[in-house]
Amino acid sequence: MNGWILAATVGLGGGGAAALWGVTTGSPGRRVIAQNLTTSAVCPALLLLSQGYGRPAYVDLALLMALLGPVGTLVFARLLADDLADERPSAWGLTWAAAGLAAAVVIALCVAGGPGRAMVKLLVIGALLIGGNVIASRALAGGFREVRGG
Amino acid sequence: MSDAVITVSLLLVAGCATAAVVQRDPARQALVLSVLGAVLAVLFTVLQAPDAGLSQLAVGSALTPLLIMLCVRKVRRRGRTKDGAR
Amino acid sequence: MNRLRLWLLAVGGAGLAALLVAACLDLPAFGGRWHPYGDRAVQASLDRHIANTIASVNFDQRAYDTLGEISILFAAVLGCVVLLREARDEHRAPPEPAEVARPVRRYALLVLPVALVTGLYVIAHGQLSPGGGFQGGVVAATALHLLYLGADYGALERVRPLGVYEASDSLAVCAYLVLGLAGVLAGTAFLANTLLPYGTFNTLSSGGTVPLLNAAVGMEVASAVVVLLAHFLDQAVEIEEEHGS
Repeated sequence: MNGWILAATVGLGGGGAAALWGVTTGSPGRRVIAQNLTTSAVCPALLLLSQGYGRPAYVDLALLMALLGPVGTLVFARLLADDLADERPSAWGLTWAAAGLAAAVVIALCVAGGPGRAMVKLLVIGALLIGGNVIASRALAGGFREVRGG
Repeated sequence: MSDAVITVSLLLVAGCATAAVVQRDPARQALVLSVLGAVLAVLFTVLQAPDAGLSQLAVGSALTPLLIMLCVRKVRRRGRTKDGAR
Repeated sequence: MNRLRLWLLAVGGAGLAALLVAACLDLPAFGGRWHPYGDRAVQASLDRHIANTIASVNFDQRAYDTLGEISILFAAVLGCVVLLREARDEHRAPPEPAEVARPVRRYALLVLPVALVTGLYVIAHGQLSPGGGFQGGVVAATALHLLYLGADYGALERVRPLGVYEASDSLAVCAYLVLGLAGVLAGTAFLANTLLPYGTFNTLSSGGTVPLLNAAVGMEVASAVVVLLAHFLDQAVEIEEEHGS
């Protein structure tokens, strides 16, 4: 048990519990925001676990999650556009906090790993994660307003 | 002490799965299933099965929600057309 | 008649329960140090210069089971295609163009090639790191549907000639079979991994036929998922029932 796994446990416990509570209670707007923030809570935890277990191959899991997590949120944003039309769910405070967490984790891992191909991969994952989080939040807050039945 | 992270993951999976069963509406169930997929992938990772975790992420993050939501849309459209034709 | 069936179910269920309990009591303890199958599997994988033991088990030691798995996926997609085809009392309405917010559209078009390349990367590195044909194929197919999420269904239909994907699905299954038969023709067994050189450990060209089988499975899964989603999307977006039915 080292510091990385401890940090991952804390992140998973807090973020996972918050996401679960958000996605099971409340209005549809709150539920989709919680689903969006699941990606931002779990992906940094996967990066920390890969460093904690000493297995660089686990970073591929974080890469896939950073790519496909926002795609999942876009699916809900597009196909639930009618339900969300009145609400315009937006939680920009949470979004930027999640982006800050992702940036902190990526920077910490880059410093721990040192320069090289692994660092480039980490930076790509960080960019995908933060960009995807912001765009998915934008999509939920009215990005699919003009979509009718498509 | 890495048992702590396994315990946390197991509890999260148990909670998500129970929540998924308790939900009645398919659209809301799809949202919970998306969260369940991510948490399951983490459980597989902490049990040192990254291949299974990767498969779970690939299928559960975008594909399964898309299939369920397309079915929900089809059912709703059919309901609306029948109401319109009446 | 109902009672007889229930009795039959009870007898079968009791027999299954007894066998399961006996088997579970015989399992090694959780997290112990004695792993006879694991030791032999890892040794066989390392002998053939395959770094990812899961890929070795899937595509070398139990390659026949993987053939069964891709057949299951093929049959399932075939069943969905038959069930979801346009029926006689339905007609196809062209999809309405949609206006998506510009940042979302730009993001989708930017991430689509990245996701596609990542899918191909996961397929190609199946024998080195976690991943392989199945995972990479699903990622590649999902990447294509970013075009639907970021633009509209008309845009996706233009780059997705469905006949090509159906043909490539079948061709990939045949490729897997042909690779297996090559072993028979060379005098060894079906799907035996003794034809090609094993290469250097931990490089892309290691493991004999494992990278080729990975590629076949990747192509099959990607095409199958695209065909499956195409029929779901057609039903949800285009096909409508005739009024009055």
